[in-house]
Amino acid sequence: MNHHPKRRARGLAVAGALVATALTLTACGPDIGSGGSATASDRLQAPTSDQPEGEITIWDRSGDLYKVFDGVIADFNKKYPKITVHHEAVDINAKLQNTLITGTDVPDGVFLDDAMVSGYADHLWDLSDVLKPYLKDIAPQKVDANTVDGGIYGVPYDLNPGLLYYNAKALESVGIDASTIKTYDDLLAAARAYQKAKPGSHPIHLEQGGFLGQLQLEMFASQLGTSLADAKGKLRLDSPEYKQILTYLDTVQKEGLGTRAEYLGQSDIAEMEAGNEVFYPWAIWFSFAPQQLLKDTGGDWRAMELPAWKDGGARSGAMGGSSFVLPKDGKNSQLAWLFYKFLMYDEAGYSAVWGPSSTYPEGLNTSIPAYLPAADPSKPLFKPVPALGDQDLWKVATEAGKQIPAGTAIPSWWNASTDYLGTDLQKMYDGDLTPDQVIKDAGSSIQTNLIDRQ
Amino acid sequence: MTTTVLPSAARPRARRGGTRMRRRIAPYLFVLPFVAIFLAFSVYPLIFTARLSFTNWHGAGAAEWVGWDNYTYLLGSPAFWSSLGNSAVLWLLIVPIQIVLAVIVAVLLDSAKLRLRGMYRVAFIVPFVTPLVAVAQIWVVLFDQDHGAVNALLGLVGIPDVGWLTTSAWAKPTLALLFLWKTTGFIVIILLSGLQSIDRSMYEAADLDGASPIRQLWSITVPLLRRTIMFAVVLQTLAVFQMFAEPFVVTQGGPYNSTTTAGYYLYNHITRADLGTGAANSFLLVILVMILSLFFVRMLRAKD
Amino acid sequence: MTTTPTVLDGPSGAAPAAPSPADRIPPAPRKRRTRPRIGTQAFLLVLMVAFLAPVVWAIVSAFKPANDIIRDPLGFDPGSFTLDNFTAMFHDVPIAHGFLNTAIVLVVKGAITLFFAPLAAYAFAKYDFIGKNLIFGAVLITLMLPTIVLIIPLLLEMKTFGWVNTYQALILPGSVDAFAIFWMRQVISAVPDELLDAARVDGCGEFGIFWRVVVPVIRPGLAGLAVLTIMNIYNDFVWPVVAASSDRMATLQVVLSTLAQNITGNRIGADYATVTGELLAASSLALIPLLVLFIVLQRHFINGILAGSVKG
Repeated sequence: MNHHPKRRARGLAVAGALVATALTLTACGPDIGSGGSATASDRLQAPTSDQPEGEITIWDRSGDLYKVFDGVIADFNKKYPKITVHHEAVDINAKLQNTLITGTDVPDGVFLDDAMVSGYADHLWDLSDVLKPYLKDIAPQKVDANTVDGGIYGVPYDLNPGLLYYNAKALESVGIDASTIKTYDDLLAAARAYQKAKPGSHPIHLEQGGFLGQLQLEMFASQLGTSLADAKGKLRLDSPEYKQILTYLDTVQKEGLGTRAEYLGQSDIAEMEAGNEVFYPWAIWFSFAPQQLLKDTGGDWRAMELPAWKDGGARSGAMGGSSFVLPKDGKNSQLAWLFYKFLMYDEAGYSAVWGPSSTYPEGLNTSIPAYLPAADPSKPLFKPVPALGDQDLWKVATEAGKQIPAGTAIPSWWNASTDYLGTDLQKMYDGDLTPDQVIKDAGSSIQTNLIDRQ
Repeated sequence: MTTTVLPSAARPRARRGGTRMRRRIAPYLFVLPFVAIFLAFSVYPLIFTARLSFTNWHGAGAAEWVGWDNYTYLLGSPAFWSSLGNSAVLWLLIVPIQIVLAVIVAVLLDSAKLRLRGMYRVAFIVPFVTPLVAVAQIWVVLFDQDHGAVNALLGLVGIPDVGWLTTSAWAKPTLALLFLWKTTGFIVIILLSGLQSIDRSMYEAADLDGASPIRQLWSITVPLLRRTIMFAVVLQTLAVFQMFAEPFVVTQGGPYNSTTTAGYYLYNHITRADLGTGAANSFLLVILVMILSLFFVRMLRAKD
Repeated sequence: MTTTPTVLDGPSGAAPAAPSPADRIPPAPRKRRTRPRIGTQAFLLVLMVAFLAPVVWAIVSAFKPANDIIRDPLGFDPGSFTLDNFTAMFHDVPIAHGFLNTAIVLVVKGAITLFFAPLAAYAFAKYDFIGKNLIFGAVLITLMLPTIVLIIPLLLEMKTFGWVNTYQALILPGSVDAFAIFWMRQVISAVPDELLDAARVDGCGEFGIFWRVVVPVIRPGLAGLAVLTIMNIYNDFVWPVVAASSDRMATLQVVLSTLAQNITGNRIGADYATVTGELLAASSLALIPLLVLFIVLQRHFINGILAGSVKG
C-alpha cells in the first residue's frame, strides 16, 4: 500500500484520468442510442431489370437439406444465368445473431426456424410488397408465423402438418382398427385397449426434450386455432384450449399410457421396435424414422390425420416449420428474393425441392410446400413411401395441411419461453405438477421474465 | 562481471544524468504494450458493458435507458441466484476432492520409479489436452441412461440404471466428474513440482523415527506443500467459477437448469438478444469476482 | 506400511527420546526412490486406465464405421476397421484451415505474450512507478473475469475496427493476458536485486538488463509459461467461436464445436452417425500436437511451474 500521500494523490489522479478517457471513448464507441422505427423503406422491392446480375450468399443448415437446395441452384441459373449463388452450410442458430449484430459478412438469404423469425424482425426486410401476389395462396398458419406488427418477415418454406403415426401391424395383431380413432378420447381408448392386450407396453409417445415437448404442445394448440400468444403478444396460456390439451397429456402420463423418451433417441427407437410404443402424434417429419432408423418395424408404420379435440374439429396442427429471411444488411437482397421466389413459387423450383433428387430418390417427404398450389393432393411431388407400406403420404399430409387453422402467431420470445413452459411441461410428465399448476407457473414466469421485459 | 568501480568524479556527468532518466522512463515503456492492450480489450469493453447494462438493447435499433431496471430484475430473479448456487455447489463437488486426490497421486507418483513416472505424467495429462468438445460427446455416450457403459457396469453389480445426465440430482456430479477428469492431471503436475522442492532428509529423519507414511504425509508433506496447494486451489476456483464450455456442450444447462452455471446463465441472455440484461448480469459477476479475488489475494498474502 | 508406528506427539511435537538400539524396532526399509509397493502400483494403474479410457475409446471409435459407433458404442470388430471417418472429415470439414489458423494464432499470439508479458511483469516486480499498484490491481481483477462477460462489447469493438473474422480479432484481445503477467511477476520477484544492480553498474541499459540478465535467469519460468500459453491458446473456445467463425478463419476448436453442434442440432438427420464419426476423427487428430508437445517438453513445464508457484 502507498504510504506517501503525495504518491497516493498522484495515483488517484492517474486513475481518474484513465477512467475519464475511457468513458469518453465509450461515447464514440459502437452506437447504441440511435435507430428509429420501421418505415416504408424497410419493405423490399423486387428488382426491375429482366436479367439482373450479381452475387448472392445463401445460408442453409448443413445436412441433407443443404444438398437438396444445392441441387436446385442449377435450375435457378437456367432462368437467371447472371446471378451467382454462393451456397454455404452454416450453423445458423449459433452464428446468425452475432452476424446480424456486427453487420459483418451478412448473407443475403437465410433458412430459419419459424419460431425465430419474429425475434430477428428488426434486422430483416419486410416482404409484404413482394409477397403480395402470393399471399392468398400460402397456408395461413405460415403467414401468421412470419407476421410481426403487420409486416411479413419471412418467405414461408414448408408446412409441417401434424399427423398420427401408428404401428398398423401391431395394432392389427390385437384387433384395433386405427381408422376408428377420430378424437383424442378415441386415442386414449385405443391405447388402453392396446396396453390391456400387451401388458408392459406404453403405447403413446411422450416427449422428454424440453424444446420439442413444447413444440408438440403447440401442435395440439394449433389444431384448436390458438397458440402461446396472440398477434399482439398477449399470453393465451390460461385458456380452455390449453387446459384441455394439458389434461389429456396428464391423463396419458397418469394412466401409464405414455413412453417417455427423447425424440428418436436410443430408448425411443428401442421401444418402438419392441412394439411397446405404437402411437406417435408428431409432425410429418417423423417419417424419417421408419425410413432410416426403424430396422425391425420399418414397413409396419402408417400415417393418418391427427385425432380431433372435439367431434368435427380440425384434424391437424402445425409443428415447427421454417422460412427464408432476408437480412437488411445483405448486399443483394433483391436478388436473393428472386432465388426464393423461384424456389417456392415456380413449378420448376418446388418440384426440384420436393421431387426426386440425387439426395432423395423418392423425393423429400419430411414436409410439404406452404404454397398451396404446389401442395395439391392429387398432384404428388414425392412418391409413395415404401417404409410406410407404399402409403401415399403426400395425399395424407396435404389434406391434413388444409385443415390447419389460422390465427396462430409466434411471439419473438417463444424460444426463451421453453425454459419456463417447456420445463414445466416436463415436470408435469414427471408427475410433479398438475395442468393447472403448469398454466399458472409457466404463465406468470413468462409474463414476468419475458413479456414484461420486451 | 567487473569488480572495479570508477570513482564518481571520473564519470562524465551527462551519462549519469542520462542513466537516471532512462531508469525512470523504462518501466513506463516496458509496461506500455501491455497497458495498451489491456485498456483496449479489457477495460474499454468493461466500461461499455456498464453503459449497456442501463439500457434494454436487443441488438438492433434503439436502446432505451431503463436505469436500474435490469439490476433489480436480476437480483430479484430466482434463476440468477440459483445459477450462482450451481456454481458454488460445483465448486464444492470439485475442488476439495480434486486437491485431496491430486496430493495423494502426486505423493505416490513421487515415489515411483523414474521411468514410470514420465509415463504416468503423460497419461494423466492426456485428458487436459484433449479437445473439450470430443470429451463432451464421449461423456454423453458413456453416461447414457439406458445404453451407457457406466450403467452397464453398475448393472453388473445389481445397481439399477441412473439418470446421470437426465436428472437434476445427478447432472451436477456428472459434470463435476467431467471437470475432475479433465483437469486433475494438470493439478497433479503442479503438485509434483512442489514436491520436488521438499528436502528428502526430512523424510529420512521421519523414517528413522518410524513414522508411518500417512503420518509423514500429514505432518511433513502437506504443510510444506501449502503454498503450492493454495496456488492450485486459487487456479481451480477461477476455473470452476468461469465454467461455461462444459455445461454448454454436455448438458446445455439442464436438466431443469440444474447445471446452469453463472457463466451459462449469462450466456442465455446473450443468445436471447437480451443484451441489456446480459450486461447487467456481467457487471454483477464482475463485482462478485472482485470480492472473491480480494479474499483470495489476502489469503495468499497472509501465507507469506 | 504396516510397521507398528511409534507415536509422535503431533506434527511439531518432539519425538520421544530414541530408545536404545537393542530394543528399537527395526527401521522401516527406505521406501523413497525404491520399488513402490503393489498397492501403489495398482492404484496408479487403475487411475491411469480411468484417465485414458475415454480418450482411447474416442480414438478407437474413429476407426469404426459411423453407424457402428452409434449402435454399438462399446464393441469393436477388428474386421470393420475403416478410414471412412477420416476421409469424410477431410472432405466435409475445414480441418486444414483449422490447423493453419490455430498455428498462426499460436505463433503470433504466443510470441506477443512471451515477449511483452515478462517485460511488463519485470516493470511491476522491479520498479516503482505511478499507478503501479492500481494497474496491477486491475490485472488481478480481470484475472478472474469469465471470458463470456466481455463478449458482446468486444464483438462490437471488433466491428468498429472492421476486424470481425480477421486474424487481428483472434490474436490481439487477450494477447498479453493477466495470468501471464501475474505469474511472471512472481517469477521475476525472485530474481535477486543484486544481479540487476551489478548489471546496471556495468553500464547495461535498462532494456539490456532485462534482456541479458533477467531473461536467462527466468528461463524455466518462461518455459512453463510458454507451455501453458500454448495450451490455453490451442484450447481457446469461447472467443474464437464468436469473433471469427467463418470457415476461412475457424480455428481448430471452432471447427470441432461446429461439428458438435451439428450433432446436437441434427440428431435425427441421416448425418448424425456420419458427423459423430467425423467429430471423433477430427478430435483424434486435434489432440496429437498438444500431446506431442507435452511429452517433449514436460520437464521444462514442470520446472517452470516450480519456479512460478512455490515462491511467494
